[in-house]
Amino acid sequence: MDLKHNIRSMSVIAHVDHGKTTLTDSLVQKAGIISSKAAGGMRYTDTRKDEAERGITIKSTGISMFFEYDIKAGEVAGLSEEEEAAQKAAVEEAMEGDSNVKISENSYLINLIDSPGHVDFSSEVTAALRVTDGALVVVDTIDGVCVQTETVLRQAISERVRPVLMVNKVDRALLELQLPAEELYQAFCRSIESVNVIVAMYNDEALGDVQVDPTKGTVAFGSGLHQWAFTLKRFAKTYGAKFNVSEEKMMAKLWGDWYFDPNRKVWTSQNKDGTLERAFCQFIATPITTLFEAIMSEKHGKVKKMLKAIGVELKNDEKELVGKQLLKRVMQKWLPAGDTVLEMIVLHLPSPATAQKYRVDTLYNGPLDDATATAIRNCDTSENAPLCMYISKMVPTSDKGRFYGFGRVFSGTIATGQKVRILGPNYVPGKKTDLWVKNIQRTVIMMGRYTEQVADIPAGNTCALVGVDQYLLKSGTIVTEEDACTIKTMKFSVSPVVRCAVEPKNSADLPKLVEGMKRLAKSDPMVLCYTEESGEHIIACSGELHLEICLQDLQQDFMGTEVKVSDPVVSFRETCTAKSDQTCLAKSANKHNRLFVEADAIGPELCTAIDDGDINAGADAKIQGRKMADEFGWDVTEARKIWAFGPEGTGPNLFVDTTKGVNYLLEIKESVVGGFAWATQNGPLCEEQMRGCRFNLMDVVLHADAIHRGMGQIMPTARRVCFSSMMTAVPNLLEPVYLCNISVPQDAMGNVYGVLTQRRGHVFSEEQRPGTPQMTLLAYLPVMESFGFTADLRSNTGGKAFPQCSFDHWEPMNGTVYGGGKVAETVLAVRKRKGLKEGIPEISQYLDKL
Amino acid sequence: MVLYIIGLGLHDEKDVTVRGLELIKTSEKVFLESYTSVLSIGKERLERFYGRDDIVVADRDFVECHAEEIYLPAKDGNVSFLVVGDPVCATTHSDIIIRAREENVKVEVVHNASAMIAVGCCGLQLYNFGQTVSIPYFDEHWRPMSFYPKIKYNRRGGMHTLCLLDIKVKEPDFEAMKRGKTIYLPPRFMTVNESSEQLIETERVLNESAYIPSKTLCVGFARLGQPDQRIIAGTLEELKEHDFGPPLHCMVICGEVHEMELEALRPHLIENSKSQIDSEGELFDRNGSFKQC
Repeated sequence: MDLKHNIRSMSVIAHVDHGKTTLTDSLVQKAGIISSKAAGGMRYTDTRKDEAERGITIKSTGISMFFEYDIKAGEVAGLSEEEEAAQKAAVEEAMEGDSNVKISENSYLINLIDSPGHVDFSSEVTAALRVTDGALVVVDTIDGVCVQTETVLRQAISERVRPVLMVNKVDRALLELQLPAEELYQAFCRSIESVNVIVAMYNDEALGDVQVDPTKGTVAFGSGLHQWAFTLKRFAKTYGAKFNVSEEKMMAKLWGDWYFDPNRKVWTSQNKDGTLERAFCQFIATPITTLFEAIMSEKHGKVKKMLKAIGVELKNDEKELVGKQLLKRVMQKWLPAGDTVLEMIVLHLPSPATAQKYRVDTLYNGPLDDATATAIRNCDTSENAPLCMYISKMVPTSDKGRFYGFGRVFSGTIATGQKVRILGPNYVPGKKTDLWVKNIQRTVIMMGRYTEQVADIPAGNTCALVGVDQYLLKSGTIVTEEDACTIKTMKFSVSPVVRCAVEPKNSADLPKLVEGMKRLAKSDPMVLCYTEESGEHIIACSGELHLEICLQDLQQDFMGTEVKVSDPVVSFRETCTAKSDQTCLAKSANKHNRLFVEADAIGPELCTAIDDGDINAGADAKIQGRKMADEFGWDVTEARKIWAFGPEGTGPNLFVDTTKGVNYLLEIKESVVGGFAWATQNGPLCEEQMRGCRFNLMDVVLHADAIHRGMGQIMPTARRVCFSSMMTAVPNLLEPVYLCNISVPQDAMGNVYGVLTQRRGHVFSEEQRPGTPQMTLLAYLPVMESFGFTADLRSNTGGKAFPQCSFDHWEPMNGTVYGGGKVAETVLAVRKRKGLKEGIPEISQYLDKL
Repeated sequence: MVLYIIGLGLHDEKDVTVRGLELIKTSEKVFLESYTSVLSIGKERLERFYGRDDIVVADRDFVECHAEEIYLPAKDGNVSFLVVGDPVCATTHSDIIIRAREENVKVEVVHNASAMIAVGCCGLQLYNFGQTVSIPYFDEHWRPMSFYPKIKYNRRGGMHTLCLLDIKVKEPDFEAMKRGKTIYLPPRFMTVNESSEQLIETERVLNESAYIPSKTLCVGFARLGQPDQRIIAGTLEELKEHDFGPPLHCMVICGEVHEMELEALRPHLIENSKSQIDSEGELFDRNGSFKQC
């Protein structure tokens, strides 16, 4: 654990049902934690009962494992000399200190996190990626790259996490589809290409070239279920010896348009008459398919002969196996998945020392040259190195209601009993908010189903802390230096758009509910729990399944009693769609100050840019002004005078100062921005957040004396003028819309269209998956209409259609607020649910007359 | 019928004028404004003295947002609106007067003493005062210093500056407000010590020598017009350390000081004060710009 060059922290990421957890089993088996018989079906890292029942992963689970891998024997490229020297020194040091465990330079510690694939749990993936340096991307040979593959891969690259690829479920392609060798090659190519397209699209220069390439050994093929996998390297080693070519050269020949002409005994890249078999097919795919065929059709003689050729010996009891069992055992022995994946991880994923050099820029909030940043960059494990650890999620302990804070040590060493500074996400350097100075109660290593207590954990590792859950809500930073800043807050790809209200069945259980909601909020990186003005307890999640799991956790684990659940409700956004038809005025309560404001729409492109952080509050006004002028057609001077983003200082609404030469204006800026933040948090229509509104401050009249234009006077006034100007600018509601990816056989497509139409959804893309009768439909579906959609779709298509919905965008609703239609109905319904005054609010409430 | 806006003076119930008292006794409704300033006594003593028990206390929210409830009843009967000090001096009640007139309600003001006048008791002559400023409480983000150029302007012209100090009564908690809740913070009254500190900070930040914290003569007042009033003169740095007792406080930053003013001020001066009297020719050279001491 002290050898920072021999640590690999990695996550397993993929689309749902592409076999992450099953593949993880191979490694767990390799580490000797479970038997090779159980592996492939055990799903060791699915630790929850419901995960096992449903067969899907819900929470990401960390496991630290120790392997021996002789890098010299297997390595071609080798470590850089500098790294090698550092490694040797560290080995010697470690050997001196610790004599009973044999640690050598061939020992590797792998901190693996198995993540869920369902889109509703993407936040778990984000939390996993933050604390790891590499990602094993798993892709189903038949399904290829799916929506969620793209989402998680994009996230990985934006976190500067280096990917390697595992093309999984090759057994399905061989057994179910009976693909011949060449078609198998084409299927592999498709998956690799799609992954590389995504990688190229989100390419980050600091990360270097991260394209996956079989000839470099960054792609493995195999079957998690049957526990086998290979890289070209595996075969290149054998054939290289045979042909007397170096392993490296052999690898290049085994992929792409290379052919071996057995008659002329030469390698060629020409196959004019089409008689030659591609080298990959000839040397790799065909042997495998032949073996498959021989075993499945029970040609014992042939099998025996082949086994001998590939050097697999079966034990006596194993010889009696037939069919798939035999196949699994044979392949397991021939091409063990654990070894292959391990080799790929060790050779091609970066060690913390390498990764943190380029990751520090995107991780650290403070100046990149202070002590903590430098220590992170160097992954400093020396004795006096400043500590920096990021807690990315909370994991429930066996002790009900308490949590482990799970995260990654980026620099220094975290030890039991150590005095540290615990920084919450809202910590500001030099202030005392969101800061606790405490001792670390205990440090533990996560081992999947159990934990192991250790005295200290050095940089580069993932681990968990006991006790920090008292201070941190979901995430936070732990440091020792006085001037250390926080690690950047994680950016999730999903947002909590589905909400429902809960109340206890028995009203005496209310305190339990309140306590249970607090625990629920802690246990999940995404879920939001809060109490509405009306006293309702709200749980907000990213999708229907997420909500279901959260409710189940709440009732079974965190409360112990049942709750009544309201129908799910959806978040809306309030917006304006035009320019205000008048300059709106609001007077302060003492009538001595006047604000004149006009509202305008900023358009969905700019909103998205703000959501993505391309345009943000912290940026340099001049550079950003130029950008906004070039890309969004803003006036440069106006773009430089953006006072604030809202809500929460970052949202997609802008307050712009367009006044000229007003005295004391800067003195009221804080108050005006306060009012704006308040208005954008709870809009005038139905107290939903605003989105896409721009407020131009046209003019102000102020009292001559500072006391009479204080915050108490200006803030409520600014809020009212934001309201009235928005309401005079053709207000509307935006509803969240899912992007729905449905895979369905052609014959059931009509029914899918039917169900979608009933629910105001529409299909915008139809694509046939190559080589299958399966169609992939892409559709937009309003979140509001999505409850029960999955069940409805299944029952209407006889279970043939599989939808996966993820939040995509906000869409304006039909009708107008004042003229009726869907918008007006929704505004009234939301107001009623929230217990607000009934009826659509009047402009005159907020608009003052001169 | 008339809306009487009646000044109550600076101290207790007995400071009201005889005319004011008569009007209060005959009014149908009486409102007491309770946020721009405070009396040293409670509403009960006022009621006992006026011989009526129906005085309505009007807080900031009431006066600012429901002003019509004060002036509209004046259409049918006399209404008294009681204001501590003088109704038209340091307060912002001009709005209620304007709106009452728009509704054709007759408004009469009954004057009384105000802090703006009572500061004369220290010996400085009211003729020599310039623009009055308020010193607001600084907080983390809001540190308005717009009073500084005004003080500078006054001082350049040799004028004294009266500084009214912030009063926070029923001030909402803005953090809670943004979350849509209204929670009031406990009342706060700025002391001479606090304002001296803020003035020193402002001079340090803006650094335009409008005044010199270690030299310029200033006068601090506590409970003006009340029997236990305190007047202390000295530099800002000296005043910062002196205890003035309970509220309300205000202060004056002196400009040029006349011989007579100095004579009257002398008994209030802190012993061994380092303050220097800025007199013409010494502080301002011919061009009118400030000379560094």
